[in-house]
This record gives sequence, C-alpha cells and structure tokens, in this order.
Amino acid sequence: MIAPDSAAELRAERRFDVVLAILIGVIAVLAAILAFAQIDAGQAATRADLDAARLASDLSARISVSEQATDSGLGAQQTALMLDAQALAREIAGLQNGDDAAMAVGKAQQSAYEALQAALTATSDTTGGKPVDAYTAGLLNATTRQLQTELTEQNRQVDLANAASSHEQLAVLGLSFLALAGVLTGLAAVLRESRGGRISLSAACAMAASAALLAILAFI
Amino acid sequence: MTAEIIEGTVSESRALAVSEITMVPHERGHGGVAILLTVAAIVAAAIGFRAAMVSGSASDSWQSALRTEVKRSAAAMEDVRYLYQSELPVAIQIVEARILQAQLLDAAQGVSGATKQTLLLEASVQAQMITALSPSSDLAAKTDYALPSGGLDLGKRLADLRAQHPELLALDPDGLQASGDKLAHKAEVMTLALLPASVAAFLGVLAQAFKRRRILFLWLGALALAGGVAMALAVEVLA
Repeated sequence: MIAPDSAAELRAERRFDVVLAILIGVIAVLAAILAFAQIDAGQAATRADLDAARLASDLSARISVSEQATDSGLGAQQTALMLDAQALAREIAGLQNGDDAAMAVGKAQQSAYEALQAALTATSDTTGGKPVDAYTAGLLNATTRQLQTELTEQNRQVDLANAASSHEQLAVLGLSFLALAGVLTGLAAVLRESRGGRISLSAACAMAASAALLAILAFI
Repeated sequence: MTAEIIEGTVSESRALAVSEITMVPHERGHGGVAILLTVAAIVAAAIGFRAAMVSGSASDSWQSALRTEVKRSAAAMEDVRYLYQSELPVAIQIVEARILQAQLLDAAQGVSGATKQTLLLEASVQAQMITALSPSSDLAAKTDYALPSGGLDLGKRLADLRAQHPELLALDPDGLQASGDKLAHKAEVMTLALLPASVAAFLGVLAQAFKRRRILFLWLGALALAGGVAMALAVEVLA
C-alpha cells in the first residue's frame, strides 16, 4: 500500500512524464511541419529569384537586339534619304550652272533613291522573319508593350522571392526555437520533478508554442 | 514521539512506493516503444535527406536554366550584332551602288557626248565600289539572300548564321526550368511524408506515457510510420 502523500508525489511525477512525452511528440510533429515549410518557402524563393534573374537577362537581350534591328532600319532609311538629298543637290547645281551632265546624274540618283528605298524597306521587312528560329525572332520583334509586360512579371518575381525568403526565415527561426525546446525538454527529463525541471519544461512548452506560431506565420 | 512515528511512517510509505515501482516487472510493449521511436527517427532522417537531395537537384536545374538563358541570349545577341552592325552596313553600300550603277547605265542609254561620258564614269565608280566591297560581304555577294526588289533577306542570313552553331541554337532553358519545377514538386511531396513519420513518433511517446493504451498507440504509430514510408516510396518511384 502507498501512503497518500507518496501517491500524490507519484501522480505529480506521472503528470510530469505525460507532459514531457506529449511535448516530445509535439516537437517531432512541429519539426516535420517546419521542415516542410522551410523547404517549400526556400524552393519558392530560389525559383522566383532565379526566374527574376532570367527575365532580367531576357529583357536585356530583347532591348539590345530589338534596338539594333530598329536602328538598322532607321539607318537604312537615312542612307536612302542621303541619296535623295544628293540627287536634289546635283540637280539644283546642274540647273544653276547649266550643267546637263550633273542634272542627268541627279535624275539617275533620284530614280536610284526610289529603288533603294523600296529595296531597303523590303530588307527591313525580313527582320525576324522565317526561317529565323522563334527565340531570335522574338528578340528582334519585341515591342515596347511586350517589354513592359515582361518587366512587370520580373518585378513580381522579385516580390515573390522576397516574400518567400521571409517565410523561409520564419521557418528557420521556428526550427531554432524547436531545437531549443528539445534541449529544454531533455534538461527537464534529467532534472525531473524539481523546481528546475518544471522551469525547463515550462520554457520548453513556451519555445514549442513559439515555434508553432512561427510555423503558422511561415504558411500565411 | 509523534513526530518520530509520522516520520517513520513516511519513510516506510516511500520505501513501499519505491519498492512497488521497482518491483514492477518488465512493462509490456516497452521494447515496442523504443523500436517505434528508433524506426520513426531513422525513416524521418532518410526522408529528410532524400528530400533535401531532390530539392538541391531542383535548385541546380534552376541555376542551370539561368546560365543557359544567359548563354543563349549572348549567342543570339552576337549573331544579331554581327549581321546588323558588321555585315549589313557594308551590304547596304553594295546594294546602293548596284542600284545607282543600274540607274546611271540606264540614263546613259538615252544620251550622248559629255553627259553620257559623265554618267558612264559615275557608273564605273559604283562598279569599282561593288568590286571592292563584295568580297567582304557574304550577305550581298550570295544570291541566296537577294530579294526580287534588290534588297536582302536578313531572316535567311540570320538563320544561316545561327545554324553555324547548332549546339547554341539547341539550348533550352525552359526545359531545364520545367525539370527543376518537377524536382521541386517531388521534394515538397516527399517532405510531406515526414508528417506521418513524426505522427508515428508522437504516438510512440504517447504509448510510453499512457501505459493502458500502449498497444493501441503502438499499432497506430506503426500504421502512421508505414504510411509515411509508403508515401515516400510512392513519391520516389512515381514523381
């Protein structure tokens, strides 16, 4: 037979053991949840970060390539206009000086200007056309609207990366709290039902609760 | 005297309690708890390790996609730069000279004397320019790229330039990114398998604490652990 006071002590010890056991189980489950949150957020952050970098690279290429194509088209038009200006200058000079040869050359240049303009327009029209591969054609034919849309998406990926990174940090902090809770639980198991043991157990419970809160925050 | 009696009773009671506790035979299922917790820990460690490896592979694929994107865009930019900045200006000069030469020769047909001589002289200047520039311009020299209007087919020329390095043309960062996405999904689902394993551990410690329901907790724990293992294996094989 056990005396009442000893029985009470045993009941307290039993309660202590039960709380200790439940806490260990909770720590195990929280560790799994936080590990999932950490991997999920970490992967999302990495992907968004790299996607943002990819889009930045693509934007840079599109701007550079499409500008070259546009500049080239404008340069070709300038070449044709220069010929036109030369033709007019020759014709005017020939007219003023009564130089038939200069006028004839000017007229020939004038005709050449029209043919050249048509030829260069046709040349520019083949930019990004078949049989160029789809990727290069996309770079050459990029419009300002497309670039703006891509830029918006790039910014969105940067924001996503930042948000996911914050979630990952919360998960890592939660895992750190959980590790602390585990250590305190171990300490409580060593100190048993003494004052120090109870304090350790209480602190471990608080740490585990904090980790649970961080796990929730990591998913929101 | 009374105090001594009470103290004696307390000592006896404690001794009796301790003896009751220590004399309890080996508890039923105690070994099961230890086995369940150990196996749950090993399974959780294995799943975590595998998930981390798969997640690392996903990250590698994404990194590779970025590098490939940079490589692909650099290759395309170089081909475009070569065509539009190196080849095209010279080719345009040749096209201009050809058209001008043709117009000057046409104009020389209907005139005579000094005007004809001037037109022919101007045409010969253009001819010399064509002769001088043509060897340095495949774009203007090859008839494959000539358009009926006298212009040049830049699309065809760029396609030929790009085809000189088929390995660069075959770069596929989107494919690598998709591969990374698939691996990341696999890692995530595999990490979910940690949950049943942790629940098994939870049930294991409950089995230790609640002796009356120990066998039930142990069975449930074993079930949860088996579920976790099955889930992890299914993800490994199918995903």
